[in-house]
Amino acid sequence: MTRYIIRRLLQAIPTLIGISILSFILVNAAPGDPITMRTFGDPRMTEEAREILRRQLGLDQPAIVQYFAWMTGLSVRQGDQVAMMTTPGNTCGYIGAINVTVCDGGGGILRGDLGTSIDTKQPVWARIVERMPATLELGITSLLLSLFIGVPLGVLSAVYRGSLFDNLVRFFAVIFRAIPIFWMALILILVFSVVLGWLPTGGRQTVSLTQEFNLGDRIRHIILPAAVLAFGGIAGFSRIMRTETLEVLHTDYIRTAQAKGLSPNNVWFVHAFRNALIPLMTVMGPAIVGVLGGAVVVETIFAWPGMGRLTVNAAFQQDYPVVLGAGMFFAVLTIIGYMLSDIFYAVVDPRVRFD
Amino acid sequence: MTRKWFSFALLITLVASLIAGCAQPVPIAPPAESGAAAGGGEQAASGAAPAGEAVQGGVWTRASSADASILNPILWSDTASSGVGGFFFPSMLGQDPQSGAFVPDGSMSESWEVSEDGLTWTFKLRDGVTWSDGDPVDAADFKFTYDAIASDLVETPRKSNVEQIESIEVVDPLTIKVTLKEVKCDALGDLGLAWLPSHLYADDFSDIMTSPLNEAPTASAGQFVFQSWTRDDNIIMTRNDSYWEGAPYMDGMITRVVPDSGTRLAQLISGEIDITGLEPTQLTSVEGNPDITVYSANDDGYDYIGLNLANPENPQPGVDENGELIAQDPHPILSDVAVRKAIAHALDYETIINNVYLGRGYQIASNVLPAVEWAHDPAIQPYAYDQEMANQLLEDAGWVDSNGDGVREKDGKELSLVLITNAGNKVREDLGALVQDQLGQIGFKIDFQAIDFGTLVERLLGQTYDMVIIGWTGLGSDPNDDAFWRSDFDTPESGFNFVSYQNPKIDELLKAGVSVPGCSTDERAPYYKEIQQIIHDDVPYVFISGGVGDTGYRNRWAGIDPGPWSFYWNVHQWYDTTLAP
Repeated sequence: MTRYIIRRLLQAIPTLIGISILSFILVNAAPGDPITMRTFGDPRMTEEAREILRRQLGLDQPAIVQYFAWMTGLSVRQGDQVAMMTTPGNTCGYIGAINVTVCDGGGGILRGDLGTSIDTKQPVWARIVERMPATLELGITSLLLSLFIGVPLGVLSAVYRGSLFDNLVRFFAVIFRAIPIFWMALILILVFSVVLGWLPTGGRQTVSLTQEFNLGDRIRHIILPAAVLAFGGIAGFSRIMRTETLEVLHTDYIRTAQAKGLSPNNVWFVHAFRNALIPLMTVMGPAIVGVLGGAVVVETIFAWPGMGRLTVNAAFQQDYPVVLGAGMFFAVLTIIGYMLSDIFYAVVDPRVRFD
Repeated sequence: MTRKWFSFALLITLVASLIAGCAQPVPIAPPAESGAAAGGGEQAASGAAPAGEAVQGGVWTRASSADASILNPILWSDTASSGVGGFFFPSMLGQDPQSGAFVPDGSMSESWEVSEDGLTWTFKLRDGVTWSDGDPVDAADFKFTYDAIASDLVETPRKSNVEQIESIEVVDPLTIKVTLKEVKCDALGDLGLAWLPSHLYADDFSDIMTSPLNEAPTASAGQFVFQSWTRDDNIIMTRNDSYWEGAPYMDGMITRVVPDSGTRLAQLISGEIDITGLEPTQLTSVEGNPDITVYSANDDGYDYIGLNLANPENPQPGVDENGELIAQDPHPILSDVAVRKAIAHALDYETIINNVYLGRGYQIASNVLPAVEWAHDPAIQPYAYDQEMANQLLEDAGWVDSNGDGVREKDGKELSLVLITNAGNKVREDLGALVQDQLGQIGFKIDFQAIDFGTLVERLLGQTYDMVIIGWTGLGSDPNDDAFWRSDFDTPESGFNFVSYQNPKIDELLKAGVSVPGCSTDERAPYYKEIQQIIHDDVPYVFISGGVGDTGYRNRWAGIDPGPWSFYWNVHQWYDTTLAP
């Protein structure tokens, strides 16, 4: 197992380098540039002023130089420009042999620095970290709701296959998978917030000048967004569990258990359930990574300050460092997520072994 | 039993669909008077706020579609940041909320004068104004702010604000002399940036980019002081008890970030927020609501169809390095002014404004909006919808449909053009479809494409397009818009004269209009009226609609007196009438 983990970690290195190159190319291939994006439509912004900004952000350099700077924190410019490029936190030196000035800004992906946001001038890492509490709060709540409702529904649906209950579960599973999330969200706001006035329309808490933490208030705020997110999960998990449970119920060992005279509850919930859970493990790894990625539509409608909005806004604003930094962060998480999922698989299923 | 359950499910679905149906856009609010809009807004209140004694207390909650990015006036470039930061940082210029003219009211300057040659502006500052930490607000703050912008250490989108400045001299703590490089009447606006508290920053500007003050400003000279910022969620500020015009009545103001406009509307109705901008489709939802007042005013922007006068396959700059005009490779179709006029006559502006803008717009004749009253020429009439005239213009220009396929030709070439706009902007997408249809009726073949904004800007600035639906916003209160028309701003890849409009007379008038010594509006106005007539006649743009903005607010607050140029100018005098004893 240890050797397997080490091997997977080593394999991750070229994958991550590949992702860094690919995402850098994609971001740079997008039309327009961050400066034009920020200044287009401002007739007072002259081209000279835009050029100064481009130079300061290093956007006037060839893509390969920009990539090198992003990875290593070392910016390179032709000629002796030590005087111009030296700033606080930036040490520069001139290499006469190749006629370039190299500056070390102290950052770079390789040193664990994801860069600095163009808009907020904050470290990208700080921007990701500040989003995590809200993201986790909403993501985990909805994931737990999906699991604790979806899994039993799926199992019961399989056990009582063909019954009214089974038909209803399947009917609503299709409906909830098919209804667009934004529509469902707006309907719930309309009914529960505007018409009935029971729940707030959005936000993570009631905002007041005193800003005291109030658990009840937090719960009231999370009910609608978590429910909307969970609907899809409940539908998905219930369908997976139903299919898997049905499959397991027809296996030899279940028939053996039944033949041994075990009670139906014992057969279904001890023998069948545990084995039907195995495929669920496969989807849990990516599902957890998905939770960290946030949920753009729900976050937008419910004004929830999570990761989804951070990355999407950054992409719209062409805040390259945030887009790239968040991209690398998720790449690492995804790799870890799939690795954990494989390991769990081995833990719950004795037939799977890593050699 | 099963059937019962299914009927129940069906019922729920039906009810939900009905409710959703109610939330759908319904037409059409009455349009704002375009004439009256020159400086005026209108308020429609279903119920008036009860007058009462002003009491201290209450919190005003505003919703913003986007979060602020940074609370530093020389680093921000987004309205979400300036919308919040404007309550902290003082400025040299106030703006009349009705006319938009620069005035000392509400600003740090008590008065100003300009030298006879128009180059030197001397500002007298108010005495006794302090930052909330007790330090005086004085000339040093202004000089520091502008020097910081010019510094190489500062990455700021405000560099153009210092380009015209020759020198800034602090005569004494309450007197500032700014000398400009040349007379430029709209340069006064460049001096209106909000000031940084210089006593909190390093003298060499080395900490401006990274200062924690950018996220949590500790000193304010405005109506409120900063309390906290939860990114993408809310910004809280409280009353500044030492505000120089008098402490506000309200205890504080909260800005909540609510990206979805439907949610903002729901929050306004439920009372969770006190104010939000309204989309045209939302107006009917608040109509008749006794707690909400709608304020409507024309804003300082317009939508237009830009017509590329030069060949998109061969974009060239308008002038050479000596400033001499470079003859453009003309656009095979749009370089003919008759074709451009035909387009202007072919559009049914009334239908467009009623159906696309849902009545929230007004037709304009040329490039200076009625809001800039002194420079606007009301005598120039917008192009009338006249298909017959449009057809005649095309016939006379030699464009005829010789093969009967509905598309005109000339010298074997079809009257075929590509019209682009940015995808996702519903108004522009609807407008494009309508324009495609209406130009099709007079024999054009229009290929309409809604493309991603980045690509659009690239094609626009690269001048590789035929026609574009786009708009200008935030034009301000000065009529000088030389960047759109002057030949030297026709620079492929960067200049805003991306329609390649070249007219030496316009170049001359635009230069003369901004360099009138003394900058009196009476002397400047004739230049701008002539410019409007020429732009109207030459049709480099087909002007579609002037912008109208609608704002809904809870009318339990008294004292609100908005103008088209400022909603919050007297916020310190607002009070919550429900708190009165």
